Amino acid sequence: MNMHRRVITLVALALASVSPAPAFAQGPVVLRIADAKTRVVVEREIARAAARGLPLQPLIAKAMEGVTKQATGERIQVAVSLLAKRLEQARVLLAPSTSVAELTSGADALAIGVPGTMLKQIRAAWPVERSVAMPLDVLTELVARRIPAQHALEQITALMARGATPSQIASLGSSVQADVAAGLAPDAALDVRARGVMSLLPSPAAAAASAPSGRRQP
Amino acid sequence: MSREVDRLIERVRSTLREAPEAVPDPRLVAQLLSAVWASPKPSMLRRWLDAWRVPAFSAVTATVVAGLALFAGFVTRGVIGERPAPEPLAASGPQTGEFPVQFAAATTIDEAAPVLTQFVLNDAKAERVSLVGDFNDWSGAATPLTRLDSGVWTVSVPLPAGRQVYAFLIDGTFLTADPRAPKSGDADYGREGSVVMVFPR
Repeated sequence: MNMHRRVITLVALALASVSPAPAFAQGPVVLRIADAKTRVVVEREIARAAARGLPLQPLIAKAMEGVTKQATGERIQVAVSLLAKRLEQARVLLAPSTSVAELTSGADALAIGVPGTMLKQIRAAWPVERSVAMPLDVLTELVARRIPAQHALEQITALMARGATPSQIASLGSSVQADVAAGLAPDAALDVRARGVMSLLPSPAAAAASAPSGRRQP
Repeated sequence: MSREVDRLIERVRSTLREAPEAVPDPRLVAQLLSAVWASPKPSMLRRWLDAWRVPAFSAVTATVVAGLALFAGFVTRGVIGERPAPEPLAASGPQTGEFPVQFAAATTIDEAAPVLTQFVLNDAKAERVSLVGDFNDWSGAATPLTRLDSGVWTVSVPLPAGRQVYAFLIDGTFLTADPRAPKSGDADYGREGSVVMVFPR
């Protein structure tokens, strides 16, 4: 009896000290979707994604975007399902990266038509411990401004190889945005802005000398 | 009474003195020790549990102990506790001469740290305007804009670095892109929004 009481006390203390956060984090997702049928279908889709180990936040956001945009239930379900597939593709292409930001950026790039092989090339351009979310976001943005994906990839990976920071790569995307809005041809805008960022970077020899060991070149 | 007790004690003593001295049988001792050594040893867990004394809890004590354990669990997992205070801000001005304007936290070195970004919409007729995007799950209630005397609506929100797609929700129903920012496509729902590149600091 005494032994039982000890064991029960130990188990209760262990449960009390470890259970709260996981219980909140992994509980079933409940979406604020008025249509019950749509809600059930979308929640099931998200539960399937959770079982595959995919990040849930982008899927929830996609579902709620559909609600705010007053899309039909069927359309919301299709959008969430397609995003789950893209996230899964991105996870394979960007391995070993598993951060939500990188997977989301990879999925966005795939959605806009960037080939999967380019995601691999972006991943290979920086060491694995360094997030490639920003280069992927800029690639997506440049393709959205009607720059051919191959051209955009070459400029971005060149900057990455020369040691450009995420902020400098972001400035490339932002500057090209502004130039295109001002009427400059997208390709020309990319070339001139990439040249500008490149001029701020150390020479290739200096970049290679300062690169950490084990760094992979594109 | 006391004298009778003393006499009884004396009789017991004398009887014991006269009894032969008890010498243990070596064979019995050997058998006993063999039996003890042959018995299975308790496991480490059993010995630890035997050594660990659990006081008999009253219902109130047990409730208090469970409450403290739960509290400790919540605190250690970050569910309860102080949120880190926001860092002091240093206005850096517009990045591209376009809206939204971004402000950098003065000491931020983390690439993933949110960056305060200002959004502006000029719509004097609107009664309510809110900002929606992936960063707030497209919730029309999460990020309302403030109306200035000039009729311009504005809000500054911390956003993660990278490409952010957003839109304005006017009067709770009308969704519109930012007229000052590049447009984003929307293959999923066919309602394009706007794009801002948030710079890491």
